[in-house]
Amino acid sequence: MKTLIIISHPEIEESSSQQYLLHSIPDDHDVTIHHLEELYSDTPIDVVAEQKLVAAHDRIIFQFPLYWYSSPALLKQWQDEVLTDDFAYGKNGTQLQNKEFALVLLVGAAKSDYQAGGKELFSMDELTKPFQAMAHKTGMTFLKTFSIYQFVYMKKKEKMTVLIDYQLFVTGDSEQSLLSREIWLLNQLKKTNVTTLGIGNEETLQHVIEMIEENRETIDDLKILLDDMN
Amino acid sequence: MEKEDWLLFELEKLFTSSQEYKQKALLKATTELVKEQVKRINQMEGELDGRLWSPRDWHN
Repeated sequence: MKTLIIISHPEIEESSSQQYLLHSIPDDHDVTIHHLEELYSDTPIDVVAEQKLVAAHDRIIFQFPLYWYSSPALLKQWQDEVLTDDFAYGKNGTQLQNKEFALVLLVGAAKSDYQAGGKELFSMDELTKPFQAMAHKTGMTFLKTFSIYQFVYMKKKEKMTVLIDYQLFVTGDSEQSLLSREIWLLNQLKKTNVTTLGIGNEETLQHVIEMIEENRETIDDLKILLDDMN
Repeated sequence: MEKEDWLLFELEKLFTSSQEYKQKALLKATTELVKEQVKRINQMEGELDGRLWSPRDWHN
């Protein structure tokens, strides 16, 4: 699966959260990073090149900091100019059909603020309705949004959780079940560099992998037993 | 020590000894996965136990 991450951030070098995410992207997956401000701050958007790029990927991600409940201006301009009639919608506009679409949002306020009764009043699912409508109109499947709230206040271990969740979100199965998470993590564990694990730990890692697989067999067996009782 | 406790203990040891940041993050996520697996197994075993001892099924 080919993933395209379209980032819009006017000051990406200054953003610790964006830099963290950029460094989190795994090297061994087919992921294209496309930072709009780097390309088009002073020049017109190359519509043909952008359309080709989008058409060549299976999962399209918009990644940006939430500015007044929406994206930075250049991403809106990109949508206006690139997602044209006869490309993205309309009678002959089938180029985005059946692709997956998702949002990665960096949010300054707390998660609990985004709900009825909270400081921001509306949930993130409500605020992102224009993007959901865009995905719907262009025939793309809208995936669950990956929101990171108050990154700067996160502790070291919370940031580690963000790293893996983000990697899984970008490269993993859209289903996001325990089983798909297991498969993805096992795959990563089998590929991990054993030389940085410490002396004598390669065997331990192998044992850990086997036990996780055994746990899965136990879960599957229990499921069969319970299904039989229905 | 139970099997799950051993597994979590070994993962903690791997986390501590790993010298690479992304690998540490992966091991931490694996620990969370194992905890979720164990929770799922306990829930299902509890459900199985509950059904086996349900008076509704005593006459079958």
